Amino acid sequence: MINPSPWSHLYRLGILLGAAFVAFLVIKALATPPSWNHEAWYRGDALIDMASQPLAHGANESCRDCHEDAVKKVKKLKHKKLSCEGCHGALADHVQDGDKIADAKVITESRRQCLNCHAELIGKPKDFPQFTMAVNKHKTIEEGAVCLKCHDAHDPTP
Amino acid sequence: MATSESSETSSDQDSRRRFLKYAASGAATILMVYIPGATAGHRYSRIWKQRSKEHQWAYIIDADKCIGWGGCVRACKRENNVPDGVFRTWIERYIVTEDGVYVDSPNGGLGGFHQADPEIQKKTLYARFIPKMCNHCANPPCVQVCPVGATYKTPEGFVLIDHDHCLGCAYCVQACPYSARFINPVLKKSDKCSWCYHRIKKGKLPACVEACPTGARKFGDLNDPESEVSEILREGKWSVLKPHMHTGPTCFYVELPKEVV
Repeated sequence: MINPSPWSHLYRLGILLGAAFVAFLVIKALATPPSWNHEAWYRGDALIDMASQPLAHGANESCRDCHEDAVKKVKKLKHKKLSCEGCHGALADHVQDGDKIADAKVITESRRQCLNCHAELIGKPKDFPQFTMAVNKHKTIEEGAVCLKCHDAHDPTP
Repeated sequence: MATSESSETSSDQDSRRRFLKYAASGAATILMVYIPGATAGHRYSRIWKQRSKEHQWAYIIDADKCIGWGGCVRACKRENNVPDGVFRTWIERYIVTEDGVYVDSPNGGLGGFHQADPEIQKKTLYARFIPKMCNHCANPPCVQVCPVGATYKTPEGFVLIDHDHCLGCAYCVQACPYSARFINPVLKKSDKCSWCYHRIKKGKLPACVEACPTGARKFGDLNDPESEVSEILREGKWSVLKPHMHTGPTCFYVELPKEVV
């Protein structure tokens, strides 16, 4: 009868550890995404996923496709630098896949739209036009009057 | 008897000494292999190896021009479907008075600001609106702590989040010195400003920059010497938030009051 090797328990342990290491390598290879960037340590395809997020705001040039006259007109007026979508709402809420899904928002019955920017607040630049009761015509307006009754939203000359 | 006992002790001591020697040399070998890698900040240098030669984006905020109307916050919310109560960008108002600094940010500045308390107004020295957002650091602490590589620095300078890979462990939320990160209550994943990566890739500006009526927010390419951001940085009047953190923000502030943190 051959005596079993006095190291046999260590061989078994070694085989077990080896198998665990191979299993680790296999699981690691399967779990690592194929586009993994080993240099900078991220999934390369994540950039494609990020770039595929749909646009909600189209910027002013996207308005021109349908409202060329209006965009051209505003370009000459005082509010020319403003984003159309800032007051009229995001493009995605108005047009989807080239079709109109809802009317663009136009707030005319509230002062909030104007006062968002032009309310008198400390911290605003000194030369920024702010609503003030010191203007003579403002002294005579009735309570809760709408700014757009007298001012043009696109060309609000004082 | 006494001799054999002493010889046994000495061989015990020998083996203990040998064990300690091997253990110490083993530990030293491990340290020699790993410490240089750790001190060189290998992940940081790995990021910069992949720096893009095409574009290096930068963001500029002019604190003197912001009027705190909140349109940028609303545009960001709509563009990126940011849930209520969390913000990818927000506006803070710093009111510096004779006896301290008052800071407020009602709902992140989403609905604009209201006039400050008359008592505070009386003693105000000056006030500024400070838009805040992810600083897209050159050496981002959030990327360093992410255990799964779900947040990363792209070669063009964006610090982005891979939502498919993120576990929502919030290590990065704690690591960010600018509090720019949050756990998205809907996705249960980490979220933050992406500089509207999807818009940049389509040749547009970030939604907040488009929405800004006064030009307080600017975005551009540092690799283009003619770009507005390059010109502003060349003037040298910029500063960054928390420079002592050595995060290297690529979101620069112009006319930043020293009270702002």
